[in-house]
Amino acid sequence: MSWLAKLYETYNQVIDNHTLPDRPDPYFHIREGCHIEITLDDSGCFKSAQSLVTEKIYGNKTFYTKHDTVIPVTPKSLTGRTSGPAPYPLAEKIQYVAKDYREYGGTKASYFSNYLEELKKWASDAQCSHWKVKAILRYVEKGTVVKDLVNAGILFSFNKGGKQMLITKWQDQAEKGEKKPPLIQSLTGGEQGNAIIRWRVQKKGEPDDTTWNDDDLIKSWQLHSETVQENNGFCQILGNVAYITQTHPKAIYPQAINAKLISTPTDPGYLTYQGKFTDDSQPVGISFEASQKSHNTLRWLIHRGQGKTIGESKNKNRPAMIVSWAVSGADIPQPLEDTWDLLSEELNEVSVPSLEAENKIDHTIDHGQSFSIALGKYMAGYKAQLSNTGNIVIMGLDSATDGRMAVTYYQEFFPEEYIARISQWHNDFAWFQRHKIEKDVGNEKTESRTVWAVGAPSPRSIWEAVYGTTLNNSLKKSTVERILPCIVEARPFPRDLVDKAVHRACNRSTKRLPDQYSNRKSEIAAWERHLGIACALYRGYSKRNSKINKEYLMGLEQDNTSRDYLYGRLLAIAERLEYIALQVADEKRSTTAGRLMQRFADRPSSTWRNIELALQPYIQRLRSNRAGFLHNIQTLLDEVMNKFTEGDFVNDKPLSGEFLLAYHSQRLDLRNRTKTKEDDELENEGEQA
Amino acid sequence: MHDTPKNTVSFKVYGRYALFTDPVTKIGGEKCSYHLPTYEAIKGVLKSIYWKPTFIWHVDKVRVMKKLRTQTKGTKPLVWSGGNSLAIYTFLHDVEYQVQAHFEWNEHRPELAKDRIDGKHFAIAQRSIERGGRQDIFLGTRDCQGYVEPCVFGEGEGAYDDIDELGFGLMFHGFDYPDETGKDELRSRFWHATMKKGVLEFTRPCECEIDRLIRPMKAKQFAEGENLLSVDVEEAVL
Repeated sequence: MSWLAKLYETYNQVIDNHTLPDRPDPYFHIREGCHIEITLDDSGCFKSAQSLVTEKIYGNKTFYTKHDTVIPVTPKSLTGRTSGPAPYPLAEKIQYVAKDYREYGGTKASYFSNYLEELKKWASDAQCSHWKVKAILRYVEKGTVVKDLVNAGILFSFNKGGKQMLITKWQDQAEKGEKKPPLIQSLTGGEQGNAIIRWRVQKKGEPDDTTWNDDDLIKSWQLHSETVQENNGFCQILGNVAYITQTHPKAIYPQAINAKLISTPTDPGYLTYQGKFTDDSQPVGISFEASQKSHNTLRWLIHRGQGKTIGESKNKNRPAMIVSWAVSGADIPQPLEDTWDLLSEELNEVSVPSLEAENKIDHTIDHGQSFSIALGKYMAGYKAQLSNTGNIVIMGLDSATDGRMAVTYYQEFFPEEYIARISQWHNDFAWFQRHKIEKDVGNEKTESRTVWAVGAPSPRSIWEAVYGTTLNNSLKKSTVERILPCIVEARPFPRDLVDKAVHRACNRSTKRLPDQYSNRKSEIAAWERHLGIACALYRGYSKRNSKINKEYLMGLEQDNTSRDYLYGRLLAIAERLEYIALQVADEKRSTTAGRLMQRFADRPSSTWRNIELALQPYIQRLRSNRAGFLHNIQTLLDEVMNKFTEGDFVNDKPLSGEFLLAYHSQRLDLRNRTKTKEDDELENEGEQA
Repeated sequence: MHDTPKNTVSFKVYGRYALFTDPVTKIGGEKCSYHLPTYEAIKGVLKSIYWKPTFIWHVDKVRVMKKLRTQTKGTKPLVWSGGNSLAIYTFLHDVEYQVQAHFEWNEHRPELAKDRIDGKHFAIAQRSIERGGRQDIFLGTRDCQGYVEPCVFGEGEGAYDDIDELGFGLMFHGFDYPDETGKDELRSRFWHATMKKGVLEFTRPCECEIDRLIRPMKAKQFAEGENLLSVDVEEAVL
């Protein structure tokens, strides 16, 4: 189905659903910042007023913010306000609302008659008028708006020849030593005619006195507008005759505030429809209702967090956005999150045990099963919630130019299908990932420690591991575009991303972090993170690739005798041996195995010779200090050596990503088995070479 | 006797990219493709294979063979006043469709009645399909080159054969041109697209309930000898 039609459907399902915490803006309304609030009683008498402008100070800058309110609009008022009057029906500027604006020396033209006419039409509409509207009409007709506001001290005036006049230039007051009030600060040029008023109408027995939260009032305006607008064309979304609009909303998300999804070019030089069509109303007909509802829904979805930005706003680049939602408005598991963020509290309790218990995690057993059971339980909750609702939709947005936005990805899924595919992604690509958690230990101190939790990496982590922290926006966007079908459509993973990730994980000395964060400890921590991600990618890739089609256990595979796997284990063992020996002598050098890792991946057999020879002096050292550990690790080394089949060991061909899986599992296993107290401290500081 | 209409042809059309533009995205210039071919797009393929103003092609069924994949590309479309602007187009990637279609005489062109010779047009159409079409094949927009080969409709395994029914909502069907309807208007038609077991069965243009007037338009005149080669002469040339 067309994305526009789907958004329209979502609006209709969601707008009356009061179980949701928030809802899209109703159509025939927009959000506008209001400066002043006037409270009336139901017979149209002024009661009080207040200024809505607030002052916020950040550092040495002060910001004056208005209050965003939902106000009713007419289609004309959305586009025709720059030249000539085009009134909003209810909440409007003083220039429109106040009959006595000019009397008080207002310099701008008074559009009061236009405003009054619209309001009268609404108030006198027999079927859809509202008592609040009538009250406001009665008050406005009295023509004392500015007078009341000046008397209440909201608007500022000065005495000129016995008459009170609105202040238009603040210089004179500043000379007197008065500070500019927030209201004047927030208006361009200090012009008080531009201040927008919103209304409250109080009536005995009615709890809600607002004009923006009142469902009845909103519906009354919608009904009135529908009768007023004439049906002048066929709408392709609704499938019937309706009031057609040529202009569509912009500002879908804040980072692309000028971009429109549906834009009609005013410049005939843009060849978007010339040929068959002779003017811009011919190619497509979309009704105002469909356009408003769909765009409001999209904005609301992004605003409430169901859209994820990719890339940054920098140097005329705009970020892309991926929005995912269920047509019913229910919560869904977001596709671009890694397992850690997705499962947050629930799973983390399981996979993040206390410090002591973590030491006892046996990395030789398969953690995959327990992980997939926990994930299954979590997804089952969603399955039950989503089973009877409409489809899940994922939509990607991007803009190449400032004024236009394109739909770069659009897919619909059945709920069961979506949940199954997301679970499959998290299961296939799960591996031990390095995370840091901060625990509050009281006394306002937090203790941070690293944990290796099982989970799948997010696309953001993937492109960090593959490309580093390059700031190329289009590269980020195209990588995520390639990975998204793997997550939600269960496609095989692109091989070049896996190869790059593996390659980068082998290269210990490459710089991984931008300058401001880069130091020895954090680089090592980053390397460990990328190691986890590369292993996860290789594991998932080999599961989905039809030629390899192998599922690796999430733990050390003791009986795996393939050449690559065993070589990985050897490397980890040699590194651990040397590391402990360096520790004993309190040296902070990197190990030979670590330095030669890249070479080892290219030429394992010949590089192993170098590593083994380099181990000799460390073996001597450990013989005197840690004999027990030495014995254990040498036994392990022999065990692994024996597993090599004939001819495999001398084969010098480059290793595939499989060796990384073995290397990582063995490394984690050894660390837990032979952990010392110093290990713990060093690990928390990220100093594990 | 036959369960398909007279003058039925079947072929497969495939290409690396396809762009069946959604009208909603067309005006902005950031074109996004429908997930399915429109009636008009397939009719365009047929017209590129072989066409004379004497007859009208009717598309009966289209079968989707490969799973849907989209790909976006940044493009630099030309601007009338010179230079380029930037836009992002969303294409369908790696598509293949099996098509079953037939043609009927265009009753609104009585001046070409002499050209309505049974068999000859059909023979030329078959031969054109075997040769991959008389003109270049495009899948939607002209950016997307396609290829045509003869096939038996329904053979082989399609990606959506197992799915009973998939609804796609209200979609653009095609244009009603004055020379095919007899009225001096350009209209656009819409239909509710549904795909059953991978096969799209299009409604006939005259049976589309929903349509929209675009603008008045006059039919182009064809006269034998001036801008039309009669089928006898055509066959002799081929």
